[in-house]
Amino acid sequence: MATDKSSLQLITNGILNENPIFRLVLSMCPAVGISTTVMNGLMLGVAVLFVQVFSSLTIAIFKNVIHPRIRIPTYTLTIATWVTVIDMVLAAYMPEAYAKMGIFIKLIVAFAIITMRLEMFACKETVSASFFDGIGMGLGFMAGMMAIGFVRELLGMGTLLGYDLLGFKPLLFFVLPLAGFFCVGLMMGFFNYIEARYKSAKRASA
Amino acid sequence: MKDIFTIVFRLTVSCLLAGLVMGATFVFTNKAKLHNAEVREQKVMLGLLGYSGAKTAPASLKLHPVYRYLVSGGGVSSLGYLVPTSGAGEAGYVFVNLGLDGNFLGKEDVRLEAHKAAEANEREAAIVVALGSGKECRYVDQTIVATDNGQRLAYLLPGEFPGFKTFINVILSVDPAFAVTGLEIMEHEEDPGLGGEIVQAYFKNQFRGKTYEALKKLGVVKEPLPDEYRRVLENDRNGGSIGAEEVAQVEASYSGKDIYALTGATISSKAVTNGVKSIVNKFAYRIGILDRVLKEQQIVVPF
Repeated sequence: MATDKSSLQLITNGILNENPIFRLVLSMCPAVGISTTVMNGLMLGVAVLFVQVFSSLTIAIFKNVIHPRIRIPTYTLTIATWVTVIDMVLAAYMPEAYAKMGIFIKLIVAFAIITMRLEMFACKETVSASFFDGIGMGLGFMAGMMAIGFVRELLGMGTLLGYDLLGFKPLLFFVLPLAGFFCVGLMMGFFNYIEARYKSAKRASA
Repeated sequence: MKDIFTIVFRLTVSCLLAGLVMGATFVFTNKAKLHNAEVREQKVMLGLLGYSGAKTAPASLKLHPVYRYLVSGGGVSSLGYLVPTSGAGEAGYVFVNLGLDGNFLGKEDVRLEAHKAAEANEREAAIVVALGSGKECRYVDQTIVATDNGQRLAYLLPGEFPGFKTFINVILSVDPAFAVTGLEIMEHEEDPGLGGEIVQAYFKNQFRGKTYEALKKLGVVKEPLPDEYRRVLENDRNGGSIGAEEVAQVEASYSGKDIYALTGATISSKAVTNGVKSIVNKFAYRIGILDRVLKEQQIVVPF
């Protein structure tokens, strides 16, 4: 059962139609907990992108030798391996980014989006399709995290990427973990609203 | 039955493969990781002593580590300090054993090369050999004594204390009279935007210039930070826009004042203040005892 989508469609699918945060509503813990700044979102997004691509590739390559009864432990093992590898590589070669992100990287093992993509996609599809799906999902997650980070950093701290834009803190409340829920919910509603408007406009013109 | 064997076999192979990948990465990256941590620590320490950016440390500046251990064996606990010695033909380090009340118990020469002393395992092994059988030692903390031409310049005190959520890791520098000369936050998990602001210059530099006496009754005030003070606190000492005289003048006028709390993070501000106070207090007590014993026992140290 191979997918009939092109590689570009697979990538945009992950970013728009099946965006991990706003459409699939998976991996909500990091989306709420870590998305306090744009930089956090970007760095975690990059790490997730790597883990997702490598894990998808590994599972797609070995899908025929994985015993169907023990596929979940195998996925977990695969993800944990790649997370550990990326953790060690970051600590060694990008110490400054690691100093900020170190504790979050290890959490990627438990991100629902990665296991879900392995189960739903990589274990059934070809290696190249899984590769592009991994890139799409990773980019979609990164885009979602950065979008939430953008809103929370600007409203909570009045800065963007660490640069002081406003000179004051409009809503200090937005940097607290609780505000993550409000932020994600409001943004999800906003995107759904835009989509509904877009669809009805399309229908009216048709 | 056949399924069991396939499952066991395949899972074992997967684990072995995963282990190989992780092991290989560890071997390739561990050296760089340790090196990074060391470089950062060195940079922070020199920065605390006032050498950062274009201003490099002179060759006469030396950093001497003193390691503190808890020794146990035969139902008795005691404290031990591993100090470098500078006498000719010496073993390199002396392990000074002190009772919990500060009495001198004994000293042992420890054969250890300087580059090996930096590694915890090598250090502990050498101490256990010197102490003889039946004793155990547990590493507690270290102090770095900075000297310039043999004169004590400052003490660098790595320390840890509870913050709002978990521990805050810092390095503190104090001068020989125990006045704080600098504070650097190494690791923390305070809330970003609130307690996380403890890493900002305008907060941590407030500790600069607090004397030992002032520190004893140092508190936290919930008042806005005056603008002239903030300007001085955020000024880079080496290459900042404000002249050294003005900096000294403003700092002197605030040296007796309490710490201005961070907005929305009084608990974190108090935690850091109390942590700094307790580190300096305990250290001042310990170094007094250690200095007395070193003098009594005529142990020659390079600091």
